[in-house]
Amino acid sequence: MTRQQTATFRFARPSPPYWAARFDVAHPPRPGQFVLADLGGPLREVLFPAFIDDTGFAVMLPPGHPATRLLPGSPIDIIGPTGRGFRPGNAQRLLLVSSADMLPLLLPLLAGAPNNAPFRNGMSFLNGAPSIALVIEGATRAQLPLPEQIPPAVELTLVTLDGSAGYLGPLESQEPAPAGLERVGPYLLELIAWAECACFACNNDRYPALASLVRQVRIQPAPDFAQALVRVEMPCGVGVCEVCRIATRHGEKCACTDGPVFDLLELGYD
Amino acid sequence: MIELAPAHKYGLSLPTPVMPAAGTFGYGDAYRDLVESDVLGAIVTNPISLRPRMAARGQRLAVRGGHFIVHTGLPNSGVRTIIRQYRKYWERSNVPIIPHLIATTPGETSRAAVQLSAARGVGGIELGLAENTSEEQAVDLLHAAQEGSGLPIIARVPFGRVEALAPLLAEAGAEALTLTAPPRAVLPIASETLGGGTSDDVCEPTGNEAVRFMRGRLYGPALFPLLLDTLARWATPGPEKLHVPIIACGGIASPEDALACISLGATAVQVDAQLWRNPALLAQIAEGIRASENSTL
Repeated sequence: MTRQQTATFRFARPSPPYWAARFDVAHPPRPGQFVLADLGGPLREVLFPAFIDDTGFAVMLPPGHPATRLLPGSPIDIIGPTGRGFRPGNAQRLLLVSSADMLPLLLPLLAGAPNNAPFRNGMSFLNGAPSIALVIEGATRAQLPLPEQIPPAVELTLVTLDGSAGYLGPLESQEPAPAGLERVGPYLLELIAWAECACFACNNDRYPALASLVRQVRIQPAPDFAQALVRVEMPCGVGVCEVCRIATRHGEKCACTDGPVFDLLELGYD
Repeated sequence: MIELAPAHKYGLSLPTPVMPAAGTFGYGDAYRDLVESDVLGAIVTNPISLRPRMAARGQRLAVRGGHFIVHTGLPNSGVRTIIRQYRKYWERSNVPIIPHLIATTPGETSRAAVQLSAARGVGGIELGLAENTSEEQAVDLLHAAQEGSGLPIIARVPFGRVEALAPLLAEAGAEALTLTAPPRAVLPIASETLGGGTSDDVCEPTGNEAVRFMRGRLYGPALFPLLLDTLARWATPGPEKLHVPIIACGGIASPEDALACISLGATAVQVDAQLWRNPALLAQIAEGIRASENSTL
Protein backbone atom coordinates (compact mmCIF):
# COMPACT_ATOMS: atom_id res chain seq x y z
CA MET A 1 0.00 0.00 0.00
CA THR A 2 1.30 3.45 -0.92
CA ARG A 3 0.66 6.02 1.80
CA GLN A 4 0.47 9.76 1.63
CA GLN A 5 1.09 11.16 5.08
CA THR A 6 2.17 14.32 6.81
CA ALA A 7 5.54 14.34 8.50
CA THR A 8 6.74 16.97 10.93
CA PHE A 9 10.17 18.40 10.35
CA ARG A 10 12.04 18.60 13.66
CA PHE A 11 15.54 19.86 12.99
CA ALA A 12 18.50 19.91 10.66
CA ARG A 13 21.99 20.19 12.04
CA PRO A 14 25.47 19.73 10.63
CA SER A 15 26.86 16.24 10.82
CA PRO A 16 29.98 16.54 8.64
CA PRO A 17 30.18 15.90 5.78
CA TYR A 18 26.36 15.86 5.80
CA TRP A 19 23.48 17.58 7.47
CA ALA A 20 21.22 15.39 9.58
CA ALA A 21 17.51 16.19 9.30
CA ARG A 22 14.88 14.64 11.51
CA PHE A 23 11.23 14.00 10.58
CA ASP A 24 8.48 12.67 12.85
CA VAL A 25 5.98 10.52 11.01
CA ALA A 26 3.43 7.85 11.86
CA HIS A 27 4.81 5.27 9.44
CA PRO A 28 8.58 5.60 9.06
CA PRO A 29 10.44 3.74 6.30
CA ARG A 30 12.42 0.59 6.94
CA PRO A 31 16.11 0.34 5.99
CA GLY A 32 16.49 0.71 2.23
CA GLN A 33 12.97 2.04 1.77
CA PHE A 34 12.41 5.70 0.99
CA VAL A 35 9.85 8.47 1.12
CA LEU A 36 9.09 11.16 -1.44
CA ALA A 37 8.90 14.54 0.25
CA ASP A 38 7.30 17.61 -1.26
CA LEU A 39 9.84 20.31 -0.46
CA GLY A 40 8.65 22.84 -3.00
CA GLY A 41 10.61 21.75 -6.05
CA PRO A 42 9.09 20.58 -9.33
CA LEU A 43 9.52 16.98 -8.21
CA ARG A 44 9.41 15.35 -4.81
CA GLU A 45 12.73 14.68 -3.10
CA VAL A 46 13.71 11.07 -2.45
CA LEU A 47 14.74 10.66 1.19
CA PHE A 48 16.40 7.48 2.42
CA PRO A 49 16.49 7.02 6.20
CA ALA A 50 19.82 6.94 7.96
CA PHE A 51 18.31 6.47 11.42
CA ILE A 52 14.88 5.06 12.21
CA ASP A 53 12.81 4.78 15.36
CA ASP A 54 9.15 4.27 16.18
CA THR A 55 8.25 7.93 15.82
CA GLY A 56 10.16 8.95 12.74
CA PHE A 57 13.44 8.94 10.91
CA ALA A 58 16.48 11.04 10.16
CA VAL A 59 18.19 11.50 6.84
CA MET A 60 21.70 12.59 5.93
CA LEU A 61 21.64 15.31 3.31
CA PRO A 62 24.25 17.29 1.42
CA PRO A 63 24.78 20.86 2.61
CA GLY A 64 22.34 23.22 0.92
CA HIS A 65 19.64 20.60 0.46
CA PRO A 66 16.14 22.18 0.62
CA ALA A 67 15.30 20.23 3.77
CA THR A 68 18.09 21.96 5.66
CA ARG A 69 16.23 25.25 5.28
CA LEU A 70 12.90 24.08 6.70
CA LEU A 71 11.51 25.59 9.87
CA PRO A 72 11.18 23.21 12.83
CA GLY A 73 7.58 22.10 13.16
CA SER A 74 6.86 22.46 9.46
CA PRO A 75 4.40 19.88 8.11
CA ILE A 76 5.82 18.02 5.13
CA ASP A 77 3.69 16.09 2.70
CA ILE A 78 5.32 12.76 2.00
CA ILE A 79 4.46 9.75 -0.10
CA GLY A 80 5.69 6.51 1.33
CA PRO A 81 7.34 4.61 2.82
CA THR A 82 7.68 2.85 -0.46
CA GLY A 83 9.89 0.36 -2.22
CA ARG A 84 11.48 -2.91 -1.17
CA GLY A 85 14.10 -2.30 1.45
CA PHE A 86 16.86 -4.48 2.83
CA ARG A 87 15.74 -7.88 3.99
CA PRO A 88 18.41 -9.21 6.36
CA GLY A 89 15.88 -11.54 7.96
CA ASN A 90 17.31 -13.35 10.95
CA ALA A 91 20.88 -13.30 9.72
CA GLN A 92 23.27 -13.45 12.65
CA ARG A 93 26.31 -12.52 10.59
CA LEU A 94 25.62 -9.42 8.56
CA LEU A 95 28.12 -7.92 6.13
CA LEU A 96 27.61 -4.32 5.02
CA VAL A 97 29.68 -2.94 2.14
CA SER A 98 29.48 0.68 1.12
CA SER A 99 31.28 3.45 -0.65
CA ALA A 100 31.76 6.37 1.70
CA ASP A 101 29.26 8.61 -0.07
CA MET A 102 26.52 6.01 0.22
CA LEU A 103 27.19 4.97 3.81
CA PRO A 104 24.05 6.73 5.17
CA LEU A 105 21.93 4.27 3.22
CA LEU A 106 23.31 1.38 5.28
CA LEU A 107 23.35 3.10 8.66
CA PRO A 108 19.85 1.92 9.67
CA LEU A 109 21.12 -1.65 9.49
CA LEU A 110 23.63 -0.86 12.20
CA ALA A 111 20.75 -0.35 14.62
CA GLY A 112 20.69 -4.07 15.22
CA ALA A 113 24.27 -4.09 16.45
CA PRO A 114 24.74 -4.39 20.21
CA ASN A 115 26.00 -1.09 21.56
CA ASN A 116 28.25 -2.32 24.31
CA ALA A 117 29.19 -5.83 23.39
CA PRO A 118 32.62 -6.23 21.82
CA PHE A 119 32.95 -8.17 18.58
CA ARG A 120 35.31 -11.12 18.84
CA ASN A 121 36.03 -13.83 16.33
CA GLY A 122 33.01 -13.04 14.28
CA MET A 123 30.50 -13.52 17.08
CA SER A 124 28.69 -11.00 19.21
CA PHE A 125 28.63 -11.50 22.96
CA LEU A 126 24.96 -10.55 23.09
CA ASN A 127 22.63 -13.40 22.27
CA GLY A 128 20.20 -12.63 19.49
CA ALA A 129 21.94 -9.51 18.20
CA PRO A 130 23.59 -9.93 14.83
CA SER A 131 27.30 -9.61 14.39
CA ILE A 132 27.94 -6.90 11.88
CA ALA A 133 30.98 -6.30 9.71
CA LEU A 134 31.08 -2.98 7.91
CA VAL A 135 33.39 -2.27 4.98
CA ILE A 136 33.63 1.35 3.86
CA GLU A 137 35.55 2.47 0.81
CA GLY A 138 36.62 6.05 0.19
CA ALA A 139 38.93 7.65 -2.30
CA THR A 140 41.16 8.82 0.50
CA ARG A 141 41.34 8.88 4.27
CA ALA A 142 39.55 12.22 4.49
CA GLN A 143 36.39 10.73 2.99
CA LEU A 144 36.05 8.01 5.59
CA PRO A 145 34.00 8.40 8.76
CA LEU A 146 35.74 8.51 12.08
CA PRO A 147 35.75 5.06 13.72
CA GLU A 148 34.09 6.49 16.84
CA GLN A 149 31.04 7.33 14.72
CA ILE A 150 30.41 3.62 14.26
CA PRO A 151 29.00 1.47 17.09
CA PRO A 152 31.90 -0.27 18.86
CA ALA A 153 30.46 -3.73 18.35
CA VAL A 154 30.64 -3.35 14.60
CA GLU A 155 33.76 -4.74 13.00
CA LEU A 156 34.89 -1.85 10.87
CA THR A 157 37.08 -2.24 7.82
CA LEU A 158 38.33 0.87 6.06
CA VAL A 159 39.40 0.87 2.44
CA THR A 160 40.98 3.71 0.49
CA LEU A 161 41.81 3.94 -3.15
CA ASP A 162 45.11 5.68 -2.45
CA GLY A 163 46.16 3.47 0.44
CA SER A 164 46.14 6.36 2.90
CA ALA A 165 44.19 4.33 5.46
CA GLY A 166 43.17 0.73 5.94
CA TYR A 167 43.24 -1.67 3.06
CA LEU A 168 43.92 -0.69 -0.52
CA GLY A 169 40.89 -0.63 -2.79
CA PRO A 170 38.96 -0.79 -4.93
CA LEU A 171 36.74 -3.42 -3.39
CA GLU A 172 36.50 -5.57 -6.47
CA SER A 173 40.20 -5.49 -7.40
CA GLN A 174 42.08 -8.77 -7.36
CA GLU A 175 45.40 -7.31 -8.48
CA PRO A 176 48.46 -7.60 -6.24
CA ALA A 177 49.02 -4.59 -4.01
CA PRO A 178 52.18 -2.48 -4.15
CA ALA A 179 54.75 -3.20 -1.48
CA GLY A 180 53.67 -2.06 1.98
CA LEU A 181 49.98 -2.10 1.19
CA GLU A 182 47.39 -4.82 1.51
CA ARG A 183 44.61 -5.26 -1.01
CA VAL A 184 41.11 -5.58 0.47
CA GLY A 185 39.99 -8.20 -2.05
CA PRO A 186 41.07 -11.38 -0.23
CA TYR A 187 39.73 -10.11 3.09
CA LEU A 188 36.44 -9.13 1.50
CA LEU A 189 36.13 -12.66 0.12
CA GLU A 190 36.63 -13.97 3.66
CA LEU A 191 33.90 -11.70 4.93
CA ILE A 192 31.52 -12.79 2.18
CA ALA A 193 32.20 -16.40 3.11
CA TRP A 194 31.57 -15.56 6.76
CA ALA A 195 28.34 -13.65 6.25
CA GLU A 196 24.81 -14.97 6.28
CA CYS A 197 23.62 -11.86 4.49
CA ALA A 198 25.54 -9.15 2.64
CA CYS A 199 24.14 -5.71 1.89
CA PHE A 200 25.81 -3.41 -0.61
CA ALA A 201 25.46 0.32 -1.28
CA CYS A 202 27.79 1.45 -4.05
CA ASN A 203 27.50 3.05 -7.45
CA ASN A 204 25.37 0.91 -9.75
CA ASP A 205 28.13 0.31 -12.27
CA ARG A 206 30.18 -1.55 -9.65
CA TYR A 207 27.58 -4.16 -8.86
CA PRO A 208 28.46 -6.63 -11.64
CA ALA A 209 32.04 -6.84 -10.38
CA LEU A 210 30.88 -7.16 -6.78
CA ALA A 211 28.49 -9.91 -7.85
CA SER A 212 31.48 -11.72 -9.34
CA LEU A 213 33.19 -11.56 -5.96
CA VAL A 214 30.15 -13.10 -4.30
CA ARG A 215 30.08 -15.89 -6.87
CA GLN A 216 33.72 -16.69 -6.16
CA VAL A 217 32.92 -17.83 -2.64
CA ARG A 218 29.23 -18.64 -2.84
CA ILE A 219 28.38 -21.05 -5.64
CA GLN A 220 24.67 -21.16 -5.01
CA PRO A 221 23.80 -18.55 -2.42
CA ALA A 222 20.30 -18.36 -1.04
CA PRO A 223 18.02 -15.78 -2.65
CA ASP A 224 18.71 -12.34 -1.19
CA PHE A 225 21.99 -13.49 0.34
CA ALA A 226 23.59 -10.50 -1.37
CA GLN A 227 21.41 -7.40 -1.60
CA ALA A 228 22.28 -4.17 -3.36
CA LEU A 229 20.66 -0.80 -3.13
CA VAL A 230 20.35 0.78 -6.58
CA ARG A 231 20.55 4.58 -6.74
CA VAL A 232 18.67 6.05 -9.67
CA GLU A 233 16.35 9.00 -10.07
CA MET A 234 12.85 8.12 -8.88
CA PRO A 235 10.57 11.06 -9.66
CA CYS A 236 7.18 9.38 -9.21
CA GLY A 237 7.87 6.65 -6.64
CA VAL A 238 4.96 4.49 -7.77
CA GLY A 239 6.37 2.94 -10.94
CA VAL A 240 4.63 5.02 -13.59
CA CYS A 241 7.28 7.36 -14.94
CA GLU A 242 9.66 4.63 -16.15
CA VAL A 243 12.67 6.80 -15.30
CA CYS A 244 14.03 4.32 -12.76
CA ARG A 245 13.96 1.21 -14.95
CA ILE A 246 16.97 -1.02 -14.47
CA ALA A 247 18.04 -4.23 -16.17
CA THR A 248 17.84 -7.45 -14.18
CA ARG A 249 18.01 -11.13 -14.92
CA HIS A 250 14.19 -11.14 -15.00
CA GLY A 251 13.94 -8.23 -17.43
CA GLU A 252 13.59 -4.55 -16.69
CA LYS A 253 12.29 -3.57 -13.26
CA CYS A 254 11.28 -0.30 -11.67
CA ALA A 255 13.70 0.59 -8.89
CA CYS A 256 11.01 2.51 -7.01
CA THR A 257 8.53 -0.33 -6.68
CA ASP A 258 10.49 -3.54 -7.36
CA GLY A 259 13.54 -2.17 -5.49
CA PRO A 260 15.47 -0.07 -4.75
CA VAL A 261 17.08 -3.05 -3.02
CA PHE A 262 17.61 -5.96 -5.38
CA ASP A 263 19.31 -9.30 -5.24
CA LEU A 264 22.87 -8.36 -6.24
CA LEU A 265 23.21 -11.45 -8.40
CA GLU A 266 20.21 -10.46 -10.51
CA LEU A 267 21.49 -7.03 -11.45
CA GLY A 268 23.36 -5.85 -14.50
CA TYR A 269 21.82 -7.86 -17.28
CA ASP A 270 21.80 -4.88 -19.63
CA MET B 1 -21.08 13.74 -18.39
CA ILE B 2 -19.05 15.02 -21.29
CA GLU B 3 -18.83 13.46 -24.71
CA LEU B 4 -15.44 13.16 -26.38
CA ALA B 5 -16.64 11.39 -29.53
CA PRO B 6 -20.06 12.79 -30.41
CA ALA B 7 -19.83 11.68 -34.02
CA HIS B 8 -18.74 8.13 -33.25
CA LYS B 9 -21.21 5.26 -33.19
CA TYR B 10 -20.15 4.20 -29.69
CA GLY B 11 -19.26 7.63 -28.35
CA LEU B 12 -16.89 8.18 -25.45
CA SER B 13 -18.68 9.58 -22.43
CA LEU B 14 -16.65 10.66 -19.43
CA PRO B 15 -18.07 11.36 -15.97
CA THR B 16 -15.66 14.25 -15.46
CA PRO B 17 -13.46 16.18 -17.89
CA VAL B 18 -10.29 15.31 -15.94
CA MET B 19 -7.81 12.62 -16.77
CA PRO B 20 -4.11 11.89 -16.38
CA ALA B 21 -1.86 12.41 -19.38
CA ALA B 22 -0.16 9.52 -21.07
CA GLY B 23 3.05 8.50 -19.37
CA THR B 24 2.14 9.89 -15.97
CA PHE B 25 -0.30 7.41 -14.46
CA GLY B 26 0.86 3.93 -15.42
CA TYR B 27 -1.73 1.48 -16.66
CA GLY B 28 -4.42 2.27 -14.13
CA ASP B 29 -3.67 0.80 -10.75
CA ALA B 30 -0.41 2.45 -9.67
CA TYR B 31 -2.16 5.35 -7.94
CA ARG B 32 -5.04 3.30 -6.55
CA ASP B 33 -4.04 4.14 -2.96
CA LEU B 34 -3.58 7.85 -3.64
CA VAL B 35 -6.24 8.83 -6.20
CA GLU B 36 -9.94 8.01 -5.96
CA SER B 37 -10.96 6.74 -9.37
CA ASP B 38 -14.35 8.46 -9.15
CA VAL B 39 -12.68 11.85 -9.66
CA LEU B 40 -11.38 10.72 -13.04
CA GLY B 41 -13.12 11.01 -16.35
CA ALA B 42 -10.90 8.38 -17.90
CA ILE B 43 -7.54 6.75 -17.41
CA VAL B 44 -5.05 7.41 -20.18
CA THR B 45 -2.40 4.74 -19.88
CA ASN B 46 1.34 4.85 -20.30
CA PRO B 47 2.46 4.46 -23.92
CA ILE B 48 1.93 0.99 -25.36
CA SER B 49 3.59 -0.45 -28.45
CA LEU B 50 2.88 -3.60 -30.40
CA ARG B 51 6.17 -5.15 -29.32
CA PRO B 52 8.09 -4.76 -26.06
CA ARG B 53 10.38 -1.75 -25.86
CA MET B 54 13.40 -1.44 -23.62
CA ALA B 55 14.18 1.66 -21.59
CA ALA B 56 16.58 4.23 -22.95
CA ARG B 57 20.13 3.96 -21.66
CA GLY B 58 21.90 6.67 -19.74
CA GLN B 59 20.41 9.59 -17.92
CA ARG B 60 16.65 9.87 -18.08
CA LEU B 61 15.89 12.91 -15.96
CA ALA B 62 17.30 16.42 -15.82
CA VAL B 63 15.90 19.14 -13.59
CA ARG B 64 16.42 22.87 -13.99
CA GLY B 65 14.55 25.37 -11.90
CA GLY B 66 10.87 24.53 -11.99
CA HIS B 67 11.19 22.42 -15.11
CA PHE B 68 12.51 19.02 -15.96
CA ILE B 69 12.93 16.81 -18.97
CA VAL B 70 12.37 13.09 -19.09
CA HIS B 71 13.72 10.65 -21.63
CA THR B 72 12.71 7.05 -21.04
CA GLY B 73 12.48 5.56 -24.51
CA LEU B 74 8.81 4.77 -23.77
CA PRO B 75 9.58 1.32 -22.38
CA ASN B 76 6.71 -1.10 -22.13
CA SER B 77 6.21 -4.83 -22.25
CA GLY B 78 4.14 -4.81 -25.43
CA VAL B 79 0.42 -4.73 -26.00
CA ARG B 80 -0.20 -8.44 -25.48
CA THR B 81 1.55 -8.60 -22.12
CA ILE B 82 0.04 -5.37 -20.89
CA ILE B 83 -3.48 -6.50 -21.72
CA ARG B 84 -2.85 -9.80 -19.97
CA GLN B 85 -1.44 -8.01 -16.94
CA TYR B 86 -4.12 -5.33 -16.58
CA ARG B 87 -7.17 -6.96 -18.15
CA LYS B 88 -8.94 -7.54 -14.84
CA TYR B 89 -8.27 -4.04 -13.58
CA TRP B 90 -9.50 -2.51 -16.83
CA GLU B 91 -12.65 -4.65 -16.74
CA ARG B 92 -13.47 -3.50 -13.24
CA SER B 93 -12.63 0.15 -13.86
CA ASN B 94 -15.60 2.45 -13.39
CA VAL B 95 -14.17 4.93 -15.90
CA PRO B 96 -13.14 4.29 -19.50
CA ILE B 97 -9.59 3.15 -20.13
CA ILE B 98 -7.87 5.01 -22.97
CA PRO B 99 -4.67 3.19 -23.92
CA HIS B 100 -2.01 5.47 -25.38
CA LEU B 101 -0.80 3.68 -28.48
CA ILE B 102 2.64 4.51 -29.83
CA ALA B 103 2.09 5.03 -33.54
CA THR B 104 4.99 3.51 -35.47
CA THR B 105 3.87 2.05 -38.79
CA PRO B 106 0.32 1.66 -40.07
CA GLY B 107 0.61 -2.13 -39.91
CA GLU B 108 1.79 -2.23 -36.32
CA THR B 109 -0.66 0.44 -35.28
CA SER B 110 -3.56 -1.47 -36.76
CA ARG B 111 -2.53 -4.75 -35.15
CA ALA B 112 -2.07 -3.16 -31.73
CA ALA B 113 -5.39 -1.32 -32.05
CA VAL B 114 -7.17 -4.58 -32.81
CA GLN B 115 -5.86 -6.12 -29.60
CA LEU B 116 -6.57 -3.07 -27.47
CA SER B 117 -10.11 -2.69 -28.69
CA ALA B 118 -10.85 -6.29 -27.76
CA ALA B 119 -10.01 -5.63 -24.11
CA ARG B 120 -13.06 -4.90 -21.98
CA GLY B 121 -13.07 -1.52 -20.34
CA VAL B 122 -11.24 0.19 -23.17
CA GLY B 123 -13.39 3.10 -24.35
CA GLY B 124 -11.10 4.67 -26.90
CA ILE B 125 -7.50 4.87 -28.02
CA GLU B 126 -5.15 7.81 -27.87
CA LEU B 127 -2.75 7.74 -30.77
CA GLY B 128 0.71 9.08 -29.91
CA LEU B 129 2.39 10.66 -32.92
CA ALA B 130 6.10 11.32 -33.02
CA GLU B 131 7.44 14.82 -33.55
CA ASN B 132 8.79 13.91 -36.98
CA THR B 133 5.59 12.36 -38.30
CA SER B 134 4.74 13.74 -41.74
CA GLU B 135 1.22 14.83 -42.68
CA GLU B 136 0.76 11.80 -44.90
CA GLN B 137 2.05 9.41 -42.24
CA ALA B 138 -0.20 10.94 -39.60
CA VAL B 139 -3.32 10.35 -41.67
CA ASP B 140 -2.22 6.83 -42.55
CA LEU B 141 -1.60 6.04 -38.88
CA LEU B 142 -4.96 7.48 -37.87
CA HIS B 143 -6.79 5.43 -40.48
CA ALA B 144 -4.86 2.30 -39.49
CA ALA B 145 -5.92 2.75 -35.87
CA GLN B 146 -9.52 3.39 -36.86
CA GLU B 147 -9.67 0.36 -39.10
CA GLY B 148 -8.07 -1.80 -36.45
CA SER B 149 -10.18 -0.83 -33.49
CA GLY B 150 -13.58 0.57 -34.32
CA LEU B 151 -13.27 2.62 -31.12
CA PRO B 152 -13.00 6.40 -30.97
CA ILE B 153 -9.47 7.52 -31.79
CA ILE B 154 -7.98 10.53 -30.04
CA ALA B 155 -4.89 11.85 -31.76
CA ARG B 156 -2.25 13.40 -29.52
CA VAL B 157 -0.56 16.07 -31.58
CA PRO B 158 3.16 16.78 -31.14
CA PHE B 159 3.84 20.22 -29.69
CA GLY B 160 5.68 21.53 -32.71
CA ARG B 161 3.29 20.10 -35.31
CA VAL B 162 -0.08 21.49 -34.29
CA GLU B 163 -0.40 23.79 -37.27
CA ALA B 164 0.53 21.05 -39.72
CA LEU B 165 -1.28 18.09 -38.19
CA ALA B 166 -4.23 19.21 -36.06
CA PRO B 167 -6.52 20.47 -38.86
CA LEU B 168 -5.50 17.54 -41.03
CA LEU B 169 -6.27 14.93 -38.36
CA ALA B 170 -9.58 16.57 -37.50
CA GLU B 171 -10.50 16.53 -41.17
CA ALA B 172 -9.33 12.92 -41.52
CA GLY B 173 -11.73 11.72 -38.86
CA ALA B 174 -10.02 11.83 -35.48
CA GLU B 175 -12.80 11.88 -32.89
CA ALA B 176 -10.83 14.21 -30.63
CA LEU B 177 -7.41 15.81 -30.39
CA THR B 178 -5.07 16.09 -27.44
CA LEU B 179 -3.21 19.39 -27.62
CA THR B 180 -0.40 18.79 -27.11
CA ALA B 181 2.23 16.18 -26.40
CA PRO B 182 5.08 17.54 -24.25
CA PRO B 183 7.57 19.51 -26.33
CA ARG B 184 11.03 18.10 -26.86
CA ALA B 185 13.75 20.05 -25.13
CA VAL B 186 17.44 19.88 -24.34
CA LEU B 187 19.26 20.56 -21.09
CA PRO B 188 22.91 20.38 -20.16
CA ILE B 189 23.59 17.63 -17.66
CA ALA B 190 26.21 17.12 -15.02
CA SER B 191 28.94 14.68 -15.83
CA GLU B 192 28.40 12.80 -12.56
CA THR B 193 24.74 11.91 -12.26
CA LEU B 194 22.66 9.13 -10.81
CA GLY B 195 22.46 6.25 -13.20
CA GLY B 196 25.64 7.29 -14.95
CA GLY B 197 26.39 6.41 -18.51
CA THR B 198 25.70 8.34 -21.64
CA SER B 199 22.21 8.91 -22.90
CA ASP B 200 21.46 7.46 -26.29
CA ASP B 201 19.52 10.60 -27.12
CA VAL B 202 21.95 13.43 -26.58
CA CYS B 203 23.13 16.33 -28.61
CA GLU B 204 26.74 15.72 -29.44
CA PRO B 205 28.95 18.37 -27.87
CA THR B 206 30.41 20.79 -30.31
CA GLY B 207 33.77 22.18 -29.42
CA ASN B 208 33.35 21.99 -25.66
CA GLU B 209 33.71 18.36 -24.67
CA ALA B 210 33.03 19.18 -21.02
CA VAL B 211 29.37 19.92 -21.71
CA ARG B 212 26.93 17.08 -22.20
CA PHE B 213 23.29 17.40 -23.05
CA MET B 214 20.13 15.44 -22.67
CA ARG B 215 17.06 15.63 -24.88
CA GLY B 216 13.61 14.60 -23.72
CA ARG B 217 10.03 15.54 -22.96
CA LEU B 218 9.75 18.87 -21.19
CA TYR B 219 7.45 19.30 -18.19
CA GLY B 220 6.87 22.35 -16.06
CA PRO B 221 4.82 25.49 -15.55
CA ALA B 222 6.07 27.24 -18.70
CA LEU B 223 4.04 24.81 -20.78
CA PHE B 224 0.80 26.27 -19.50
CA PRO B 225 0.91 29.67 -21.24
CA LEU B 226 2.00 27.85 -24.40
CA LEU B 227 -1.03 25.60 -24.02
CA LEU B 228 -3.34 28.58 -23.63
CA ASP B 229 -1.85 30.11 -26.76
CA THR B 230 -2.55 26.89 -28.64
CA LEU B 231 -6.10 26.70 -27.35
CA ALA B 232 -6.75 30.35 -28.14
CA ARG B 233 -5.92 29.66 -31.76
CA TRP B 234 -7.41 26.23 -32.32
CA ALA B 235 -10.23 25.80 -29.80
CA THR B 236 -11.89 29.19 -29.53
CA PRO B 237 -14.42 30.37 -32.12
CA GLY B 238 -12.65 31.74 -35.15
CA PRO B 239 -11.53 30.81 -38.63
CA GLU B 240 -9.08 28.18 -37.41
CA LYS B 241 -11.27 26.55 -34.75
CA LEU B 242 -11.12 22.78 -34.94
CA HIS B 243 -14.54 21.18 -34.97
CA VAL B 244 -13.64 18.20 -32.81
CA PRO B 245 -13.38 18.00 -29.03
CA ILE B 246 -10.04 19.27 -27.75
CA ILE B 247 -8.29 17.81 -24.73
CA ALA B 248 -5.91 20.33 -23.20
CA CYS B 249 -2.58 19.05 -21.91
CA GLY B 250 0.53 20.84 -20.73
CA GLY B 251 1.49 22.34 -17.40
CA ILE B 252 -2.00 22.34 -15.86
CA ALA B 253 -1.29 22.68 -12.16
CA SER B 254 -4.49 23.91 -10.48
CA PRO B 255 -8.27 23.95 -10.84
CA GLU B 256 -7.97 27.53 -12.10
CA ASP B 257 -5.65 26.37 -14.87
CA ALA B 258 -8.12 23.70 -15.91
CA LEU B 259 -11.00 26.18 -15.89
CA ALA B 260 -8.96 28.55 -18.06
CA CYS B 261 -8.47 25.77 -20.60
CA ILE B 262 -12.16 24.94 -20.62
CA SER B 263 -13.08 28.59 -21.01
CA LEU B 264 -10.84 28.67 -24.09
CA GLY B 265 -12.78 25.82 -25.66
CA ALA B 266 -11.19 22.66 -24.32
CA THR B 267 -13.64 19.84 -23.69
CA ALA B 268 -11.43 18.08 -21.16
CA VAL B 269 -8.04 18.41 -19.53
CA GLN B 270 -5.13 16.07 -18.98
CA VAL B 271 -2.82 16.53 -16.03
CA ASP B 272 0.78 15.70 -16.82
CA ALA B 273 3.77 15.16 -14.56
CA GLN B 274 2.41 17.67 -12.04
CA LEU B 275 0.56 14.77 -10.50
CA TRP B 276 3.80 13.04 -9.53
CA ARG B 277 4.27 15.85 -7.08
CA ASN B 278 0.61 16.23 -6.18
CA PRO B 279 -1.56 13.17 -6.84
CA ALA B 280 -4.50 15.01 -5.23
CA LEU B 281 -4.43 17.48 -8.12
CA LEU B 282 -6.81 15.32 -10.16
CA ALA B 283 -9.42 15.44 -7.41
CA GLN B 284 -8.84 19.14 -6.83
CA ILE B 285 -9.41 19.91 -10.51
CA ALA B 286 -12.49 17.71 -10.70
CA GLU B 287 -13.92 19.45 -7.64
CA GLY B 288 -13.03 22.88 -9.00
CA ILE B 289 -14.78 22.19 -12.29
CA ARG B 290 -17.82 20.78 -10.52
CA ALA B 291 -18.03 23.82 -8.26
CA SER B 292 -17.70 26.11 -11.25
CA GLU B 293 -20.49 24.31 -13.09
CA ASN B 294 -22.75 24.49 -10.04
CA SER B 295 -22.14 28.20 -9.61
CA THR B 296 -22.90 28.76 -13.30
CA LEU B 297 -26.20 26.92 -12.94
